[in-house]
Amino acid sequence: MELQKNNKLNPNPITKLFVVGLLGITVVNSIHPIFEWLIILIISIMFMINGFKKDAINNVIVFAIFFIVPNFEALSHLPILIKIFLSLLFVLRMFYIPYIAGKFLIKTSDVGSIISSMDALKIPQAISIPVAVMFRFFPSFVEEKNNIKMALKIRGLNTKNPFKYLEYVAVPLLIISSNIADDISKAAETKAIANPIKKTRYIKVHVGAIDFIYAIIILGAVVGGWICLK
Amino acid sequence: MKGNLKIKDLVTIGVFAVIYFIVMFAVGMMGMIPILFLVYPTVLGIVGGTIVMLFMAKVQKPWALFIFGILSPLIMFAMGHTYVLALHGIIVMLIAEMIRRMGGYNSFKYNMFAYAIFNTWICGSLMQMLLAKEKYMELSMMMGEDYAYAIEKLITYPHMALVYLGAIIGGIIGAYIGKALLKKHFSKAGIA
Repeated sequence: MELQKNNKLNPNPITKLFVVGLLGITVVNSIHPIFEWLIILIISIMFMINGFKKDAINNVIVFAIFFIVPNFEALSHLPILIKIFLSLLFVLRMFYIPYIAGKFLIKTSDVGSIISSMDALKIPQAISIPVAVMFRFFPSFVEEKNNIKMALKIRGLNTKNPFKYLEYVAVPLLIISSNIADDISKAAETKAIANPIKKTRYIKVHVGAIDFIYAIIILGAVVGGWICLK
Repeated sequence: MKGNLKIKDLVTIGVFAVIYFIVMFAVGMMGMIPILFLVYPTVLGIVGGTIVMLFMAKVQKPWALFIFGILSPLIMFAMGHTYVLALHGIIVMLIAEMIRRMGGYNSFKYNMFAYAIFNTWICGSLMQMLLAKEKYMELSMMMGEDYAYAIEKLITYPHMALVYLGAIIGGIIGAYIGKALLKKHFSKAGIA
Protein backbone atom coordinates (compact mmCIF):
# COMPACT_ATOMS: atom_id res chain seq x y z
CA MET A 1 0.00 0.00 0.00
CA GLU A 2 1.60 3.21 -1.06
CA LEU A 3 0.43 5.61 1.58
CA GLN A 4 2.14 8.77 2.56
CA LYS A 5 3.10 8.79 6.17
CA ASN A 6 0.93 10.94 8.41
CA ASN A 7 -1.34 11.75 5.55
CA LYS A 8 -3.49 14.70 6.60
CA LEU A 9 -6.42 13.50 4.53
CA ASN A 10 -6.55 9.97 5.90
CA PRO A 11 -8.47 9.56 9.15
CA ASN A 12 -6.94 7.22 11.70
CA PRO A 13 -8.22 3.64 12.00
CA ILE A 14 -10.06 4.34 15.25
CA THR A 15 -12.27 6.93 13.57
CA LYS A 16 -12.89 4.64 10.64
CA LEU A 17 -13.85 1.76 12.90
CA PHE A 18 -16.20 4.04 14.82
CA VAL A 19 -17.88 4.99 11.55
CA VAL A 20 -18.25 1.34 10.51
CA GLY A 21 -19.91 0.52 13.83
CA LEU A 22 -22.19 3.53 13.56
CA LEU A 23 -23.28 2.64 10.04
CA GLY A 24 -23.86 -0.94 11.18
CA ILE A 25 -26.76 0.36 13.23
CA THR A 26 -28.43 1.63 10.07
CA VAL A 27 -28.96 -1.96 8.93
CA VAL A 28 -31.42 -2.51 11.75
CA ASN A 29 -32.85 1.01 12.06
CA SER A 30 -33.31 2.27 8.56
CA ILE A 31 -32.64 5.89 7.67
CA HIS A 32 -33.99 8.19 5.00
CA PRO A 33 -32.79 7.37 1.44
CA ILE A 34 -31.47 10.89 0.88
CA PHE A 35 -29.20 10.52 3.87
CA GLU A 36 -28.10 7.11 2.62
CA TRP A 37 -26.98 8.80 -0.57
CA LEU A 38 -25.26 11.50 1.47
CA ILE A 39 -23.25 8.85 3.33
CA ILE A 40 -22.34 7.07 0.11
CA LEU A 41 -21.15 10.35 -1.42
CA ILE A 42 -19.09 11.24 1.64
CA ILE A 43 -17.35 7.86 1.55
CA SER A 44 -16.74 8.32 -2.18
CA ILE A 45 -15.18 11.69 -1.50
CA MET A 46 -13.01 10.11 1.19
CA PHE A 47 -11.88 7.49 -1.31
CA MET A 48 -11.22 10.23 -3.86
CA ILE A 49 -9.03 12.43 -1.67
CA ASN A 50 -7.04 9.39 -0.58
CA GLY A 51 -6.24 8.56 -4.18
CA PHE A 52 -8.60 5.63 -4.79
CA LYS A 53 -10.47 7.16 -7.74
CA LYS A 54 -11.72 3.86 -9.14
CA ASP A 55 -13.22 2.79 -5.81
CA ALA A 56 -14.92 6.14 -5.42
CA ILE A 57 -16.68 5.83 -8.78
CA ASN A 58 -17.53 2.14 -8.35
CA ASN A 59 -19.06 2.91 -4.98
CA VAL A 60 -21.58 5.34 -6.43
CA ILE A 61 -22.43 3.12 -9.40
CA VAL A 62 -22.91 -0.03 -7.33
CA PHE A 63 -25.12 1.71 -4.82
CA ALA A 64 -27.15 3.26 -7.64
CA ILE A 65 -27.78 -0.23 -9.04
CA PHE A 66 -28.84 -1.53 -5.65
CA PHE A 67 -31.01 1.50 -5.16
CA ILE A 68 -32.83 1.35 -8.47
CA VAL A 69 -33.27 -2.38 -9.13
CA PRO A 70 -35.84 -3.23 -6.42
CA ASN A 71 -38.16 -0.54 -7.73
CA PHE A 72 -39.13 -2.23 -10.98
CA GLU A 73 -42.70 -3.46 -11.11
CA ALA A 74 -41.77 -6.21 -13.56
CA LEU A 75 -39.83 -8.04 -10.88
CA SER A 76 -42.95 -9.46 -9.29
CA HIS A 77 -43.75 -11.44 -12.44
CA LEU A 78 -40.46 -13.28 -12.63
CA PRO A 79 -40.25 -17.02 -11.87
CA ILE A 80 -39.50 -17.95 -8.28
CA LEU A 81 -35.95 -19.21 -8.90
CA ILE A 82 -34.81 -15.89 -10.30
CA LYS A 83 -36.50 -14.18 -7.37
CA ILE A 84 -34.42 -16.23 -4.96
CA PHE A 85 -31.28 -15.05 -6.69
CA LEU A 86 -32.46 -11.48 -6.76
CA SER A 87 -33.22 -11.54 -3.07
CA LEU A 88 -29.48 -11.85 -2.53
CA LEU A 89 -29.27 -8.43 -4.11
CA PHE A 90 -31.57 -7.11 -1.38
CA VAL A 91 -29.40 -8.58 1.33
CA LEU A 92 -26.37 -6.95 -0.26
CA ARG A 93 -28.20 -3.65 -0.52
CA MET A 94 -29.02 -3.69 3.19
CA PHE A 95 -25.46 -4.37 4.20
CA TYR A 96 -23.83 -2.23 1.55
CA ILE A 97 -23.38 0.97 3.55
CA PRO A 98 -21.48 -0.55 6.49
CA TYR A 99 -19.65 -2.76 4.02
CA ILE A 100 -18.29 0.17 2.03
CA ALA A 101 -17.19 1.92 5.21
CA GLY A 102 -15.40 -1.30 6.17
CA LYS A 103 -13.76 -1.43 2.77
CA PHE A 104 -12.56 2.12 3.29
CA LEU A 105 -11.12 1.09 6.65
CA ILE A 106 -9.27 -1.95 5.28
CA LYS A 107 -8.07 -0.35 2.04
CA THR A 108 -6.66 2.86 3.42
CA SER A 109 -5.10 1.65 6.67
CA ASP A 110 -1.69 0.05 6.75
CA VAL A 111 -0.73 -2.57 9.30
CA GLY A 112 1.51 -0.22 11.26
CA SER A 113 -1.21 2.32 11.89
CA ILE A 114 -3.72 -0.39 12.83
CA ILE A 115 -1.33 -1.78 15.42
CA SER A 116 -0.42 1.57 16.88
CA SER A 117 -4.09 2.52 17.09
CA MET A 118 -4.70 -0.70 19.00
CA ASP A 119 -1.99 0.51 21.37
CA ALA A 120 -3.74 3.83 21.69
CA LEU A 121 -7.01 2.08 22.55
CA LYS A 122 -5.14 0.07 25.22
CA ILE A 123 -6.15 -3.23 23.67
CA PRO A 124 -4.25 -5.99 25.51
CA GLN A 125 -1.36 -7.80 23.82
CA ALA A 126 -3.41 -10.98 23.82
CA ILE A 127 -5.53 -9.46 21.03
CA SER A 128 -3.07 -7.17 19.28
CA ILE A 129 -0.35 -9.79 18.71
CA PRO A 130 -2.67 -12.30 16.99
CA VAL A 131 -4.05 -9.52 14.79
CA ALA A 132 -0.56 -8.42 13.80
CA VAL A 133 0.37 -12.03 13.08
CA MET A 134 -2.70 -12.41 10.89
CA PHE A 135 -1.51 -9.59 8.65
CA ARG A 136 2.00 -11.00 8.57
CA PHE A 137 0.90 -14.58 7.87
CA PHE A 138 -1.74 -13.96 5.23
CA PRO A 139 0.60 -13.65 2.22
CA SER A 140 2.75 -16.61 3.22
CA PHE A 141 -0.36 -18.73 3.62
CA VAL A 142 -1.38 -18.07 0.01
CA GLU A 143 2.17 -18.83 -1.13
CA GLU A 144 2.26 -22.15 0.73
CA LYS A 145 -1.12 -23.15 -0.63
CA ASN A 146 0.04 -22.58 -4.19
CA ASN A 147 3.21 -24.58 -3.50
CA ILE A 148 1.18 -27.54 -2.24
CA LYS A 149 -1.10 -27.40 -5.25
CA MET A 150 1.90 -27.38 -7.56
CA ALA A 151 3.42 -30.33 -5.73
CA LEU A 152 0.16 -32.24 -6.16
CA LYS A 153 0.19 -31.47 -9.88
CA ILE A 154 3.79 -32.63 -10.28
CA ARG A 155 2.90 -35.97 -8.74
CA GLY A 156 -0.18 -36.24 -10.90
CA LEU A 157 -2.64 -36.10 -8.02
CA ASN A 158 -5.45 -34.14 -9.57
CA THR A 159 -8.29 -35.18 -7.35
CA LYS A 160 -11.69 -33.60 -7.58
CA ASN A 161 -13.11 -35.58 -4.68
CA PRO A 162 -13.68 -32.94 -2.00
CA PHE A 163 -12.84 -35.23 0.91
CA LYS A 164 -9.58 -36.39 -0.64
CA TYR A 165 -8.83 -32.79 -1.55
CA LEU A 166 -9.38 -31.75 2.02
CA GLU A 167 -6.97 -34.37 3.24
CA TYR A 168 -4.31 -33.81 0.59
CA VAL A 169 -4.27 -30.03 0.79
CA ALA A 170 -5.45 -29.23 4.30
CA VAL A 171 -3.20 -31.62 6.19
CA PRO A 172 0.14 -30.45 4.76
CA LEU A 173 -1.10 -26.89 4.96
CA LEU A 174 -1.87 -27.23 8.65
CA ILE A 175 1.48 -28.86 9.34
CA ILE A 176 3.40 -26.18 7.47
CA SER A 177 1.36 -23.46 9.16
CA SER A 178 2.09 -24.71 12.62
CA ASN A 179 5.79 -24.83 11.76
CA ILE A 180 5.59 -21.27 10.46
CA ALA A 181 3.88 -20.28 13.69
CA ASP A 182 6.88 -21.59 15.61
CA ASP A 183 9.25 -19.70 13.30
CA ILE A 184 7.35 -16.43 13.64
CA SER A 185 7.33 -16.69 17.40
CA LYS A 186 11.07 -17.31 17.48
CA ALA A 187 11.64 -14.28 15.25
CA ALA A 188 9.36 -12.20 17.45
CA GLU A 189 11.13 -13.33 20.62
CA THR A 190 14.48 -12.27 19.18
CA LYS A 191 13.03 -8.85 18.56
CA ALA A 192 12.09 -8.67 22.24
CA ILE A 193 8.33 -8.69 21.80
CA ALA A 194 7.91 -9.99 25.35
CA ASN A 195 9.71 -6.99 26.81
CA PRO A 196 7.11 -5.44 29.10
CA ILE A 197 8.11 -1.78 28.62
CA LYS A 198 6.11 0.67 26.52
CA LYS A 199 6.97 0.30 22.87
CA THR A 200 7.68 3.06 20.40
CA ARG A 201 6.07 2.58 17.02
CA TYR A 202 7.40 3.59 13.64
CA ILE A 203 4.01 4.96 12.66
CA LYS A 204 2.16 7.11 15.18
CA VAL A 205 -1.55 7.69 15.21
CA HIS A 206 -2.63 11.30 15.11
CA VAL A 207 -6.01 12.83 15.67
CA GLY A 208 -6.41 15.50 13.03
CA ALA A 209 -9.12 17.73 11.68
CA ILE A 210 -10.14 15.09 9.13
CA ASP A 211 -11.07 12.68 11.93
CA PHE A 212 -13.56 15.11 13.39
CA ILE A 213 -14.94 16.09 10.02
CA TYR A 214 -15.44 12.51 8.89
CA ALA A 215 -16.94 11.27 12.16
CA ILE A 216 -19.22 14.25 12.73
CA ILE A 217 -20.61 14.38 9.19
CA ILE A 218 -21.45 10.67 9.27
CA LEU A 219 -22.94 10.97 12.76
CA GLY A 220 -24.99 13.92 11.58
CA ALA A 221 -26.18 12.00 8.51
CA VAL A 222 -27.25 8.98 10.55
CA VAL A 223 -29.06 11.00 13.20
CA GLY A 224 -30.59 13.27 10.57
CA GLY A 225 -31.79 10.23 8.66
CA TRP A 226 -33.59 8.87 11.70
CA ILE A 227 -35.28 12.13 12.45
CA CYS A 228 -36.44 12.59 8.87
CA LEU A 229 -37.96 9.12 8.76
CA LYS A 230 -40.00 9.59 11.91
CA MET B 1 1.03 -27.26 30.15
CA LYS B 2 -1.26 -24.87 31.99
CA GLY B 3 -0.50 -21.27 32.69
CA ASN B 4 -0.74 -17.96 30.95
CA LEU B 5 -0.59 -17.49 27.24
CA LYS B 6 2.95 -16.98 25.99
CA ILE B 7 4.01 -15.16 22.83
CA LYS B 8 4.27 -18.50 21.06
CA ASP B 9 0.63 -19.28 21.81
CA LEU B 10 -0.49 -15.85 20.68
CA VAL B 11 1.34 -16.30 17.39
CA THR B 12 -0.26 -19.71 16.97
CA ILE B 13 -3.66 -18.14 17.56
CA GLY B 14 -2.99 -15.59 14.81
CA VAL B 15 -1.82 -18.20 12.32
CA PHE B 16 -4.75 -20.52 12.90
CA ALA B 17 -7.16 -17.61 12.78
CA VAL B 18 -5.97 -16.86 9.23
CA ILE B 19 -6.53 -20.47 8.17
CA TYR B 20 -9.97 -20.54 9.78
CA PHE B 21 -10.89 -17.23 8.21
CA ILE B 22 -9.90 -18.36 4.71
CA VAL B 23 -11.79 -21.64 5.07
CA MET B 24 -14.79 -19.69 6.31
CA PHE B 25 -14.77 -17.51 3.22
CA ALA B 26 -14.27 -20.44 0.88
CA VAL B 27 -17.26 -22.20 2.41
CA GLY B 28 -19.16 -18.92 2.48
CA MET B 29 -19.19 -18.81 -1.31
CA MET B 30 -22.10 -21.26 -1.16
CA GLY B 31 -24.08 -18.61 0.70
CA MET B 32 -24.47 -16.95 -2.69
CA ILE B 33 -27.61 -19.05 -3.08
CA PRO B 34 -29.78 -17.66 -0.30
CA ILE B 35 -31.52 -20.89 0.74
CA LEU B 36 -28.22 -22.70 1.21
CA PHE B 37 -27.27 -20.01 3.68
CA LEU B 38 -29.38 -21.87 6.22
CA VAL B 39 -27.13 -24.95 6.11
CA TYR B 40 -23.94 -22.92 5.93
CA PRO B 41 -23.23 -23.23 9.69
CA THR B 42 -23.44 -27.02 9.45
CA VAL B 43 -21.04 -27.24 6.51
CA LEU B 44 -18.63 -24.80 8.12
CA GLY B 45 -18.65 -26.96 11.25
CA ILE B 46 -17.71 -30.07 9.30
CA VAL B 47 -14.96 -28.41 7.29
CA GLY B 48 -13.53 -26.25 10.07
CA GLY B 49 -13.43 -29.06 12.63
CA THR B 50 -9.93 -30.22 11.80
CA ILE B 51 -8.45 -26.75 12.12
CA VAL B 52 -10.01 -25.95 15.46
CA MET B 53 -9.38 -29.39 16.94
CA LEU B 54 -5.71 -29.20 15.95
CA PHE B 55 -5.56 -25.73 17.44
CA MET B 56 -7.07 -26.95 20.69
CA ALA B 57 -4.63 -29.86 20.79
CA LYS B 58 -1.73 -27.48 20.24
CA VAL B 59 -2.62 -24.75 22.72
CA GLN B 60 -4.05 -26.23 25.90
CA LYS B 61 -4.31 -23.05 27.89
CA PRO B 62 -7.05 -20.90 29.36
CA TRP B 63 -8.57 -18.24 27.08
CA ALA B 64 -6.82 -19.49 23.95
CA LEU B 65 -10.07 -20.63 22.35
CA PHE B 66 -11.79 -17.41 23.39
CA ILE B 67 -9.22 -15.18 21.72
CA PHE B 68 -9.08 -17.41 18.65
CA GLY B 69 -12.84 -17.31 18.43
CA ILE B 70 -13.43 -13.59 18.77
CA LEU B 71 -10.91 -12.67 16.06
CA SER B 72 -13.15 -13.70 13.17
CA PRO B 73 -16.27 -11.84 14.41
CA LEU B 74 -14.18 -8.76 15.15
CA ILE B 75 -12.64 -8.73 11.69
CA MET B 76 -16.06 -9.28 10.12
CA PHE B 77 -17.29 -6.36 12.20
CA ALA B 78 -14.52 -4.18 10.81
CA MET B 79 -15.54 -5.30 7.34
CA GLY B 80 -19.05 -3.98 7.78
CA HIS B 81 -21.17 -6.50 9.65
CA THR B 82 -23.33 -5.12 12.43
CA TYR B 83 -22.54 -5.01 16.14
CA VAL B 84 -24.94 -7.96 16.54
CA LEU B 85 -22.37 -10.33 15.09
CA ALA B 86 -19.56 -9.09 17.34
CA LEU B 87 -21.63 -9.24 20.55
CA HIS B 88 -23.08 -12.63 19.66
CA GLY B 89 -19.57 -13.90 18.93
CA ILE B 90 -18.22 -12.80 22.29
CA ILE B 91 -21.08 -14.47 24.19
CA VAL B 92 -20.74 -17.73 22.25
CA MET B 93 -16.99 -17.81 22.78
CA LEU B 94 -17.38 -17.27 26.52
CA ILE B 95 -19.68 -20.29 26.73
CA ALA B 96 -17.30 -22.40 24.63
CA GLU B 97 -14.37 -21.35 26.81
CA MET B 98 -16.27 -22.33 29.97
CA ILE B 99 -17.09 -25.76 28.55
CA ARG B 100 -13.47 -26.28 27.65
CA ARG B 101 -12.44 -25.24 31.14
CA MET B 102 -14.68 -27.91 32.65
CA GLY B 103 -12.79 -30.59 30.73
CA GLY B 104 -9.41 -29.28 31.82
CA TYR B 105 -8.49 -28.23 28.25
CA ASN B 106 -7.34 -31.66 27.08
CA SER B 107 -10.37 -33.93 27.23
CA PHE B 108 -11.71 -34.78 23.77
CA LYS B 109 -15.30 -34.93 24.94
CA TYR B 110 -15.34 -31.40 26.36
CA ASN B 111 -13.27 -30.02 23.50
CA MET B 112 -15.79 -31.50 21.11
CA PHE B 113 -18.72 -29.80 22.85
CA ALA B 114 -16.74 -26.59 23.11
CA TYR B 115 -16.20 -26.71 19.36
CA ALA B 116 -19.87 -27.46 18.71
CA ILE B 117 -20.80 -24.32 20.66
CA PHE B 118 -17.94 -22.37 19.10
CA ASN B 119 -19.37 -23.19 15.70
CA THR B 120 -22.64 -21.41 16.41
CA TRP B 121 -20.96 -18.00 16.25
CA ILE B 122 -21.62 -17.84 12.53
CA CYS B 123 -25.37 -17.95 13.25
CA GLY B 124 -24.90 -14.35 14.37
CA SER B 125 -24.84 -13.30 10.74
CA LEU B 126 -28.31 -14.80 10.36
CA MET B 127 -29.44 -13.26 13.63
CA GLN B 128 -28.71 -9.82 12.25
CA MET B 129 -30.96 -10.68 9.32
CA LEU B 130 -33.69 -11.47 11.81
CA LEU B 131 -33.27 -8.10 13.48
CA ALA B 132 -33.28 -6.34 10.15
CA LYS B 133 -36.31 -8.31 9.01
CA GLU B 134 -38.68 -5.38 8.63
CA LYS B 135 -36.43 -3.62 6.19
CA TYR B 136 -35.86 -6.82 4.29
CA MET B 137 -39.60 -7.48 4.08
CA GLU B 138 -40.17 -4.01 2.75
CA LEU B 139 -37.72 -4.65 -0.07
CA SER B 140 -39.11 -8.12 -0.74
CA MET B 141 -42.60 -6.71 -1.25
CA MET B 142 -41.39 -5.38 -4.61
CA MET B 143 -41.13 -8.96 -5.81
CA GLY B 144 -44.77 -9.72 -5.21
CA GLU B 145 -46.64 -10.40 -2.01
CA ASP B 146 -46.62 -14.20 -2.26
CA TYR B 147 -42.88 -14.21 -2.28
CA ALA B 148 -42.64 -11.81 0.63
CA TYR B 149 -44.92 -13.97 2.75
CA ALA B 150 -42.91 -17.07 1.89
CA ILE B 151 -39.80 -15.27 3.07
CA GLU B 152 -41.53 -14.06 6.20
CA LYS B 153 -42.45 -17.62 7.08
CA LEU B 154 -38.90 -18.75 6.52
CA ILE B 155 -37.13 -16.24 8.73
CA THR B 156 -38.52 -16.90 12.20
CA TYR B 157 -37.09 -17.66 15.61
CA PRO B 158 -38.05 -21.37 15.61
CA HIS B 159 -36.26 -21.77 12.29
CA MET B 160 -33.24 -20.03 13.73
CA ALA B 161 -33.22 -22.66 16.48
CA LEU B 162 -32.97 -25.31 13.78
CA VAL B 163 -30.02 -23.48 12.26
CA TYR B 164 -28.34 -23.46 15.67
CA LEU B 165 -29.02 -27.17 16.03
CA GLY B 166 -27.53 -27.72 12.58
CA ALA B 167 -24.44 -25.79 13.60
CA ILE B 168 -24.00 -27.92 16.73
CA ILE B 169 -24.45 -31.19 14.83
CA GLY B 170 -22.03 -30.00 12.14
CA GLY B 171 -19.58 -29.09 14.89
CA ILE B 172 -19.73 -32.56 16.41
CA ILE B 173 -19.23 -34.25 13.03
CA GLY B 174 -16.35 -31.89 12.27
CA ALA B 175 -14.76 -32.63 15.64
CA TYR B 176 -14.83 -36.38 14.91
CA ILE B 177 -13.30 -35.86 11.46
CA GLY B 178 -10.70 -33.68 13.10
CA LYS B 179 -9.95 -36.37 15.66
CA ALA B 180 -9.52 -39.00 12.94
CA LEU B 181 -7.16 -36.76 10.97
CA LEU B 182 -5.24 -35.85 14.10
CA LYS B 183 -4.65 -39.52 14.80
CA LYS B 184 -3.81 -40.34 11.20
CA HIS B 185 -1.41 -37.49 10.44
CA PHE B 186 -0.63 -34.97 13.07
CA SER B 187 0.40 -37.10 16.01
CA LYS B 188 2.77 -38.93 13.65
CA ALA B 189 4.30 -35.62 12.62
CA GLY B 190 4.70 -34.73 16.27
CA ILE B 191 2.50 -31.65 16.11
CA ALA B 192 -0.57 -32.48 18.10
